[in-house]
Amino acid sequence: MHRRDALKTIAAGAASSLWVQQLSALAQVHAGQLHTALVAAQTAGGWVAKVLDPHQQRTVAVLAELIIPQTDTPGAKAALVDRFIDGLLETATAADRRKFISGVGRLDVRSRALFRVDFLTATPAQQTDLLTRLSAEGSAESRELVDFFAAMKSMTITGYYTSEIGMRDELGDNGQLFLPSYDGCTHPEHQR
Amino acid sequence: MLRNAPDRADLMQIITPSKVYPVIIIGSGASGGMAAWNLTSKGIDVLVLDAGDRFERRTFWTHVRPWEARERMARGEQPPRFYLDTKEQPYFTPDSRPFDLYRVWGHGGKTNIWGRVSLRLSDLDFKGAESDGWEIPWPISYKDISPYYDQVEQLIGVCGGTDDSDSLPGSKFLQPPPGPRCGERLLQKGAASVGIPIVAGRRANMTRPTRGFPACHYCGACGSGCDTASFFNSADHLLPFALKTGRLEIRSNAVVARVLVDDKGLASGVQYFDRRTGAEQQVRGKVIVVGASTVDSTRILLNSKSPRHPNGIGNGADVIGRYLCEQIRFHVRGYLPQLAGTETRNDRGIGGEHIYMPRFNHRPGRKRDYLRGFGAQFWNTGASASGANPGSEAIPGFGAALKKEIKRRHPAWFEIHPYGEVLPYAHNRITVDPNRTDRYGVPLPAIDYRIGENERKMTEHMADTAEEIVKAAGGVLVGYKRGDLDRMGSAIHEHGTCRMGADPKRSALNAFNQMHEVRNLFVVDGSAFPTATEKNPTLTILALSWRATDYLAEQIKRGEL
Repeated sequence: MHRRDALKTIAAGAASSLWVQQLSALAQVHAGQLHTALVAAQTAGGWVAKVLDPHQQRTVAVLAELIIPQTDTPGAKAALVDRFIDGLLETATAADRRKFISGVGRLDVRSRALFRVDFLTATPAQQTDLLTRLSAEGSAESRELVDFFAAMKSMTITGYYTSEIGMRDELGDNGQLFLPSYDGCTHPEHQR
Repeated sequence: MLRNAPDRADLMQIITPSKVYPVIIIGSGASGGMAAWNLTSKGIDVLVLDAGDRFERRTFWTHVRPWEARERMARGEQPPRFYLDTKEQPYFTPDSRPFDLYRVWGHGGKTNIWGRVSLRLSDLDFKGAESDGWEIPWPISYKDISPYYDQVEQLIGVCGGTDDSDSLPGSKFLQPPPGPRCGERLLQKGAASVGIPIVAGRRANMTRPTRGFPACHYCGACGSGCDTASFFNSADHLLPFALKTGRLEIRSNAVVARVLVDDKGLASGVQYFDRRTGAEQQVRGKVIVVGASTVDSTRILLNSKSPRHPNGIGNGADVIGRYLCEQIRFHVRGYLPQLAGTETRNDRGIGGEHIYMPRFNHRPGRKRDYLRGFGAQFWNTGASASGANPGSEAIPGFGAALKKEIKRRHPAWFEIHPYGEVLPYAHNRITVDPNRTDRYGVPLPAIDYRIGENERKMTEHMADTAEEIVKAAGGVLVGYKRGDLDRMGSAIHEHGTCRMGADPKRSALNAFNQMHEVRNLFVVDGSAFPTATEKNPTLTILALSWRATDYLAEQIKRGEL
C-alpha cells in the first residue's frame, strides 16, 4: 500500500477504541511492503510465538479460524494468521499489546462464567455463542471484550486476505503482474 | 572560503584552486532534476547536491506480494527505505496541530514513489487570487506555461483522455488512457446524471514506450517504485540523460545547510554536511538553484542568515516560510451492489484510479459560499490487489457468512478522495529554531499550520458532492463519517513558503523563480507556488523549473549572471 494511501483505517465499526484502530492500522502496514520491522516467520516448522504464550497462541488460532473458517477454501488456520498476529503484536506499542493480551484473558474469564471452561476447552457451539454475543450490534458484553474481538477480527481479516490462500484461492486474484494492455471494465451491461 | 579541512576531499579542494561551478542545484527530484537536465542540455556545467543516494531499481520490491514480503522480512531482507526517518531529521509541530511530512532523500526524491497524477493548472488556478482578491496572484498565466506543459508531457509520457474543460485544459500530447474499471465507470455514469463530469485520469504512467523506456505493464505496484521505470521519475528519466552530456556532477549524501553569500549579498556557494561522515563541506557557484522540496528548501533559505540577509536569504519582505498551503482531503468508502458477486477482475491497472473529477464548483448554477475549489481522486476502486478492502472489517459478524460477504463485495468497493485548496495564510508558516538543531548543528524546521473557515465551508461542499455521487451511482457508504478530514500534510502537496509574485514586497521570487533580492538564486520547487490549488503539483513543478532554467540559461548567455 502506498504510504500516502494508507488511510485512517475504518476498524470494525466507527465506535472502535483508539487502540483497536491502531492495531488495525498496524495490520495494514504489516500486510504491505513498507514496514521494516516485521519478523514473524511465515515459513513452516519450528515456529515459536514471540509475544503470545502457548495458551494465548492456541486461543488466537482458534479465534481466527472461527472468524474466517475453512469453507470450500482453507481458512485462517491454514493461512497461519496466528503467526501474522504474533508478529504484528511484536511491533505494536506496549500499551496496545497489553490490551490485546489482557483481552485473551478476559475471553477466558467470560467463557468460564458462561460455560465453566476456558474458551479453548468450550465446545464449538459455546465458542460461537460467545462470539455472537461479542459481535452483536449494541453488545451487552464489556467494552474491553468487545474491543478485543474487534481488534482480533480486524487483524484476522488483514492477515488472511493478504496471504496467498486468501488472495488467490479465496478472492480469486489471478496474480497477473505483466499485462500488455489494460482494457478496463468489459461487462457489457456497464458500457456507457 | 573553506573553514576547516578535516578530510581528504577538503584538502583536494584547497590544493586545486577552488572550483567555481556555473550552477549548483540543491535537490534532484522533479524540480532539481529538471533544472539539471535542461541546463546541461544547453551546455552549462552543473553540480547537483542530493541529500541521499541512488535507489537501485533492481532492489525494488515492485512485484513482491504481501505474503512474499513477510517471508523475505522473516529472512532479514528489507525493501528500499525511500522515506526519510524523522529520527534522523526531526521536524516540530505544536502538540495540538500535527502536520504530516514525508520526505525522500535520494536521487529523484519523491518522484521515485509519487502518485503520478499529472494535471495542468488552468487560469482558474492562475487567476484565482486576481478574481477573489485573497492574497497575491500568480505572476504568470496559462499561456505563459502551456508551451512548457506541452514539452513536459511529451518528455515524461502522460496518459489521459481528450476531455478538456476550463478547469482541466490541454490534452494535446497525452498517451492513450487505460479503460476505467467497472466501479469507476459506474461512478462516472452516476456523477454525469447529476451534472458532475468525471473524466479520464491523467497520470505519468507511460502507456506507450517512451524514450527507450518500456510501457507500463499494469502491475499496479507503483508505490513500491517501478522496476521498469515505466512512470516518470527524475533519477531514471532526467539525471542519466544529463550525465551523458558530461556536464553534470552529482554529489550524493550532501545535506545542504545554507546558501553562502558574498559581501554584496549575492549567493556565492553552498555549505553542506556529508551524511555519512558528518564532515562540513563548502562549494562555490555562480548561480544557485534550490529544489529541495518545499520544507527543506525553506529550511535552507531561512538558515542562510548573513548581515545582508538577517532574516534568511532573500527574505527582506518576511514572506519566506509564510503562506504554507497544502490541501484538505478526506476519504469516502463504500460498495456498489451492482458489482457485488461478480467475478474478480484484475483491477491493478496503472496503480491509482483511471478517472478524475475536475473542479466544477465555479460553473453557473453551482452555489459556493467559499473561495477556490476542489477535485477528487478515486484510488482503491475495484478489486484490491493487496488484500481485502479495509471496509471489509465493517461487515458485521464472523464465520462463513462474513467470509462469503467479503468475497461478494471484493470486486464492488469504491473510494472517493476529494482534494480541496487551502488558502495561503501568513500565520501558516515554517520557521527554524536555533535551539533545536540536527546532528550537524543546523537549526531544524518547525511547522505551524491550521485551516480556517473557508476550508471548513469547502469541506461541507466536498462532502455534499461525494454523497451526491454515491447516491447517483447507487452505492452504499461504509464507515462514513462526514467531514472527517485526514491529517494536515497528508496530501504531500506543500506549497507557498517562497512564493512568486510581481510585487517584491509581498513575494520572494519573480515570474521566473528568480529571487527579487538575490538575482543569482532561483527556487524552483513547490514552495514557489503562490496558491496550492486543488491539483497535484508535480507536472507544474516540472514545467516551471524548465521555464525558469530556460530564463536562467539565457541570462548566463547574455552575461547577466
